[in-house]
Amino acid sequence: MSNQTESPNTVGELREIENSDFDDGPVVSRERGGWAWLGLLPFFAFLTLFLLVPTIGLIRKAFVANDSSFTTDGMTAAITDEWAAFRNSLKISFVTAALGVVLGTALAYAAATAKRPKWLRSLVAAFSGVAANMGGIILAFLFLTLLGRQGLGTKILADNGWDPYKSWFSINDFSGVILVYMYFQIPLMVLVTLPAIDGLKASWREASANLGGSTFTYWRRVGLPVLAPSMLGGFLLLFANAYSAFATAYALNTQSNLVPVKISFYLQGDVTGRSPLPFALATWMILFMGFSMGGYLLMRKRAERWQR
Amino acid sequence: MKKRYTSSRRLAGAFVAGALLLVACGSDDEPTSAPETTEGAAATTEAAVATTEAAVATTEGASATTEGAVATTAAGGEDPLAGLYQECLDNGARVNLIALPDEWANYKGVLAAFGEKYPGIAYPVQNPNASSQEELDAVINLAGQDDMPDAIDVSPAKAIIAADSGLWAPFEPSTIGEVPDNMKDPDGNWVSAYYGIMSIGTNTTIVANAPKSFADLAKPEYKGQVALNGDPRESGSALAAVMAASLANGGSPDDIMPGIEYFAELKASGNLIPTEVTQATVISGETPIALDWSYNYPGLASAVEDAGFTVEINFPTDAAYGAPYAQGVVAGSPHQACAQLWIEHILSNEGALAYLGGGGMPARYAAVDAAGLISEADRANLPPADLLAEVVFLTPEQSTAANDALLANWGPMVADA
Amino acid sequence: MRRLSAWLGRIGPTLVLLAAAVFFIAPLLSTARAAFHKVPTILLDRHTWFTKWSFDGIRRAFNEEFFWPTLLLGLKLALVTVLITMVLLVPTALYVHLRLPRARALVEFLTVLPYVVPPIALVAGVAAFFRPNARWFLNSDFSLAPFYVVIAMPFTYRAIDAGIKAIDVRTLVDASRSLGGSWAMTLRKALLPNLSASLLSSAFLTATVVLGEFTIASSLAKNTFATFSFEYFGRDPQGGIGLALLTLLATTGLLGVLTIATRSKSRRAMAANRG
Repeated sequence: MSNQTESPNTVGELREIENSDFDDGPVVSRERGGWAWLGLLPFFAFLTLFLLVPTIGLIRKAFVANDSSFTTDGMTAAITDEWAAFRNSLKISFVTAALGVVLGTALAYAAATAKRPKWLRSLVAAFSGVAANMGGIILAFLFLTLLGRQGLGTKILADNGWDPYKSWFSINDFSGVILVYMYFQIPLMVLVTLPAIDGLKASWREASANLGGSTFTYWRRVGLPVLAPSMLGGFLLLFANAYSAFATAYALNTQSNLVPVKISFYLQGDVTGRSPLPFALATWMILFMGFSMGGYLLMRKRAERWQR
Repeated sequence: MKKRYTSSRRLAGAFVAGALLLVACGSDDEPTSAPETTEGAAATTEAAVATTEAAVATTEGASATTEGAVATTAAGGEDPLAGLYQECLDNGARVNLIALPDEWANYKGVLAAFGEKYPGIAYPVQNPNASSQEELDAVINLAGQDDMPDAIDVSPAKAIIAADSGLWAPFEPSTIGEVPDNMKDPDGNWVSAYYGIMSIGTNTTIVANAPKSFADLAKPEYKGQVALNGDPRESGSALAAVMAASLANGGSPDDIMPGIEYFAELKASGNLIPTEVTQATVISGETPIALDWSYNYPGLASAVEDAGFTVEINFPTDAAYGAPYAQGVVAGSPHQACAQLWIEHILSNEGALAYLGGGGMPARYAAVDAAGLISEADRANLPPADLLAEVVFLTPEQSTAANDALLANWGPMVADA
Repeated sequence: MRRLSAWLGRIGPTLVLLAAAVFFIAPLLSTARAAFHKVPTILLDRHTWFTKWSFDGIRRAFNEEFFWPTLLLGLKLALVTVLITMVLLVPTALYVHLRLPRARALVEFLTVLPYVVPPIALVAGVAAFFRPNARWFLNSDFSLAPFYVVIAMPFTYRAIDAGIKAIDVRTLVDASRSLGGSWAMTLRKALLPNLSASLLSSAFLTATVVLGEFTIASSLAKNTFATFSFEYFGRDPQGGIGLALLTLLATTGLLGVLTIATRSKSRRAMAANRG
């Protein structure tokens, strides 16, 4: 999600249409059409070996019992026994995605429209690039030093009257995980939304004002509808991102009751490697991710219409 | 148009089919490949056991004479092992170790003594804070690689699992005769070089009134302060804490459920925090009350003082529970001779004294004591003699039963509750 | 109402930016304190606040046995990953743009597939297939590289693709070819210079991901910089935190410099294209 360096280019748009419609030409090229796919062979082969094969391998193992017979017991056990983990993961992903969409869009808009200082947008974009891809371990450390049981922030708050740990907060629990996840969810949303916001042409804002609309009307009638596909797509992306996050959750609480942590726990705990449980958990996870990402792609296609 | 469409689909289908084919004929599952490796391992270990049995036969005569001589020269006891030392030097001069924290039963001292006694041999320790489960995972994950662990030190429950999975290369060190029966495996898979007693370590700068029993730990004043040394399904010391709690609450070595229930309540009341006890958390004060082995505190003493804290160790008045750890050579590891040398070392006098220095009770305590090697300072490190006398280790069946009960119940009742 | 909304419209963005600044910077400050101040938080007060500051933690980190080896391995892995990514994706993207636009949808879909199989699931699959069949492959530390290429693919491909879309590839290629240039020369002299901005930024982001990647490395028991950092933190919290902070500052600084440098470059490129 690092498309930081483009801006809409109306002249390019015309050329773009030309390019994509430029087929190989008349009859001669059409016969060669099938062979053209061979050029993508290295790409397909690489993905097959390093993505498709492990995935199919793990899905297969999800349906194989300890004694090598086919069984759906693993899949049912995974979704029933570990339902709490799925529910927790879903809850965290939903909440952080929703918060991330709202706050991320707000931040992206603020950064994109700020006139001064001029380097603000670059700074926000650069920081978002780092924060969105930051290693989970480092992020966990950052917040442990701030709001962990022995965190600086915790101490300052406690000294001034409110001890978060005596109240509802705990860095190892939901509240902590959600807060920490925002640190990479918001930047990710910023990265995804900045191009969309760039697509909100200033002329539309002026037109709306000229026609008597307030800021509120502008947003309601023009801004949000245009941004909606980006925001929805962003939500799905953030959802998938939070769901699959492992390192951060693990570093905050090695016994988190979340699906990725459970997968790792069962993979580790089974020396023989024959239990279908971790693979079943992973298969369910892939299914959920598939839905999310499918939706995200659909939304992105619609959002891009406004960006050309 | 249609032609191109179908050709792209055809290609995609070809690749998925190819992938499926690869997976289908490629993958022999663990069940079929494991017997191959263990057969090979069994062949080599049979040979290894045969040679060490012969070595034991010859050294038994030698050790009778050196026992008397041990007080005069430390080097005197080396002769039976000189051959092994040379073999190690010839075979890579390195023993890959894992999960040996500096302050755990003074492994820092044990390692240093090894380096002094056998110069020229490297002894890298990977992942010092790994749990016993993680050690077994490393053995499996790194099989066949240069950095595969050569020797491991795991809890009794995990030692049994390792034996079932064929991960040990049975080896009986020359001093095995002086190791009590309950501290060695009858099949020669592993030996226990030391044991300790479960204790409650309290940071008295943060917690004014140190708890002295499991009953104390449940008091509301200790909310958010009690921590275990990991997850009992993975870590031997955490398992021991749960077992000790069980003994304190009407359980027995056969029944760990009262302990699990105890910790379920402790978590519900907020006293138990999910943070794992490590050097880091003790020094930062994040885990003010730690349930850990008695031999894990002396090593941290100076670091803790540096930070400005004071620590008080208490043995729970309502439960005296101790357990040994199992050490042995890993089957199929790259440096077999060096691993054997390491096992010889930890059961030697130097090894025993080093463990003592950290407060760990060495397996050959009786023999080392009889040789007059133990100083008063060392004796002071140990838990009280009457407690030591009370301690009864779990049998292998009891270990396995406890492990299984935890696997089934700890998740639903405590970790995920 | 209108005045309120107008006022909000002006103040709003500033407030948002300030709040964001606080949220994103506070953890960095507390981390810096934890890394360099040798007083445990619980003992902090007016008297101890200004005592015992030191860089000891970082110094200890640099002296750690596995620090330089894992850092070196991380950099090597990053290099290999970036190379594989470029060699695999740039020709593919160009090919799709120039020869096979029909494939665009499929290829884009495939490059987003790694999001559907998150690293934790991927590593389960790697254990399921590669361990029984190709253990020799997993024995090498560099076996991590192809999987890193896969997990970075969604955004590296997108960056490369965006870069290609922003320049007029067809015209460049036609011009170069008609002037007698070979494909290699076209690539080197006409295309790559114009794509350098997006290539560089995607390369850099890949490197950041590789250095920070923990899940796959720890599940495969590899000793990388990220796994080392985590393990070191468990032993020496101050050193570990200092190390994490240093890593973060280094990557942020580099990315900042890169963004500024390539921004002006891409502006020039686009101006040239328009003209």
